Amino acid sequence: MLEEMKVGLVLSGGGAKGAYQVGVLKALLELGARVDMVAGASIGALNGAVLASAPSLEIGVERLENLWMTMAADSPISMKMPGYLTLLCATGLQINGSAAFGMLGKVAQLAARRAGIPLHLELLKQLSSGVLCDKPLKLLMDEYLDFAGLARGLPLYVSVFESTDGFSDLTSVLSAELGLGNSPSSKFFHVQSLPVAEQKEALLASAAIPLMFASREIEGSMYSDGGQGGWSNVQGNTPITPLLEAGCNLVMVTHLTDGSLWSRHDFPDAKILEIRPQSSIARNTGFFGGAADLLGFDSTKIPSWIDQGYQDAQHAVGRVMKPLAARAALRTSEAALQKSESQNAFADLSLKAAISRLH
Amino acid sequence: MSALEPVTADSEICQIITCLPEKFVVDFANGIDVARDHLRVQKGRDGFYARCYDGFTGQGAKRQAEINACVLDGVEASLDWLIELTESLANSNLAIARVNDRVNNLKLDVARIADYSVSTRRTLEALAGRLDARCGVLGQEIRRIDFVQRVQLNLDQVFNKWRAGRYSSFSLGGRCYVALEELRWGAFGDYCRTQSGKQRQTFLEDMVNRATAQLVEDTGNSASARMDTRHWLSAPVGRGVLADAADALAYMGKGFDGDDKPFICAVTQVSSKWPRDLPRISSAERVTKAMASEVFESYAYA
Repeated sequence: MLEEMKVGLVLSGGGAKGAYQVGVLKALLELGARVDMVAGASIGALNGAVLASAPSLEIGVERLENLWMTMAADSPISMKMPGYLTLLCATGLQINGSAAFGMLGKVAQLAARRAGIPLHLELLKQLSSGVLCDKPLKLLMDEYLDFAGLARGLPLYVSVFESTDGFSDLTSVLSAELGLGNSPSSKFFHVQSLPVAEQKEALLASAAIPLMFASREIEGSMYSDGGQGGWSNVQGNTPITPLLEAGCNLVMVTHLTDGSLWSRHDFPDAKILEIRPQSSIARNTGFFGGAADLLGFDSTKIPSWIDQGYQDAQHAVGRVMKPLAARAALRTSEAALQKSESQNAFADLSLKAAISRLH
Repeated sequence: MSALEPVTADSEICQIITCLPEKFVVDFANGIDVARDHLRVQKGRDGFYARCYDGFTGQGAKRQAEINACVLDGVEASLDWLIELTESLANSNLAIARVNDRVNNLKLDVARIADYSVSTRRTLEALAGRLDARCGVLGQEIRRIDFVQRVQLNLDQVFNKWRAGRYSSFSLGGRCYVALEELRWGAFGDYCRTQSGKQRQTFLEDMVNRATAQLVEDTGNSASARMDTRHWLSAPVGRGVLADAADALAYMGKGFDGDDKPFICAVTQVSSKWPRDLPRISSAERVTKAMASEVFESYAYA
């Protein structure tokens, strides 16, 4: 008996590079792939929420493309603010005011300077108050993050990190990065199982960059960006576990970093199709290049990420499907041979009888 | 990156993507992309600080371990696939061997059928030959029977005419001559010219007997009763006798030599001098036999 196919999609976190996932989804849609449930971390959670709340995969991809292309379009805000922060603010996150002037703000300012974009910390403060929020983007997010649609849509899991306080969280992540242990594992929430009031909180928590954004309260605990959990093995940023527990027998995992150290071998029984960048996904170089890509200082890079995701998904799926097609053809030919041979006995008997009648 | 054909919605792949793929194939094929991603990053981290950082954090070793695992997966999958393909190839070879055996058996059967066909053809040809011969024989027999039948009819017809008095305008000898001459020009004559043997002799005997019997009937004497030759040659007179009967006889006998055919000459030609070999007295039997031997040279009377 054929096993019923259940396909999960993991959308990992990576800030503005989340545009890459739009390209991946476009390719999967074109290839006729099905998606039965979605799990996301950080920007992956937001992309996943837009996708899961859409009435169909096609409309979901269309909405995501529209959203990201709106972000890519020049606007007075995007000229001054990193696109990813604009998106988060449009979604409902508010800049942690104290942090804006703290250490993280200074790091963001340095990253912006490296990317050649001046970042005024005053603007961050104004963004937190909603004054500088990109209105077209906010309208789109209000429309696309449709929680009524989400209730009817694909099951959505988001990765969140239980936060003690911003500095402790960052310390544990830094320790994990240096190989001095691992940060605590992220938790995964099935969004549709949460009370409606907490569903948006879960999404916002998953994308809440520590220190820059305030952590969110869900079921009495405080949570922030899910990508921080299980840092050394990328457990939180690549939330495959809830999909496997939910019974997915094929999981497509998208990565938003070059050479992600997440390992498929940690899940020896799972069928996993990884869609990894086949050329560098980084658009900025240098010490703060990663932060610049994450925050999306240069929104004009968004279309290139979408295109790269599309190409990489076509490539990855094509590479897997070709041998599968060959094997299917082999099986078909074997079955045809077996069927053909099953008729030999009758033909032999008939010929033998006919020949024996000659004598 | 190896160049792969672009996948389109019409591709066969799109038909397969809806089926659950096999894990080892996914790991095998996708592992190449994973390893390539790690190798690309690894290659880019060859600077001093990057090497120190990767070494210190363990990320370099972890990345290498991941590449190794992918390579191992690939090798294992290759082995699995190779075994599977080899088994499939072995099955295919066995199937080909079976096909070959069956083709050979089929060839033997075809050869048997061909032999049978040749043998049947030869038998048929022989049968056709025999049938042709038999048909030829039957045809000849039919023609012979037909010929005999026509001879018989010819005899009946001629002697019926004689019996019916159609030759009454001729002398007794003339009647016999006319009857025999008519037989000579008819089927009877053809038969005597082309055939030989007992049957011909029987016919000739029959002819002689019938003519003798008719002369006996016409004269009212016995077959062996001798009469003056003039009696045999004298033409009838009276009403009903054809005026040109004598001329007809003369025409028919024109050219015959009296030494060679004395009876014919005597019967057909009006002459005061009879041929030297013509007997002066003759019986009906003598006249008939002599006439038969002169008209049908093959008839030899004793």
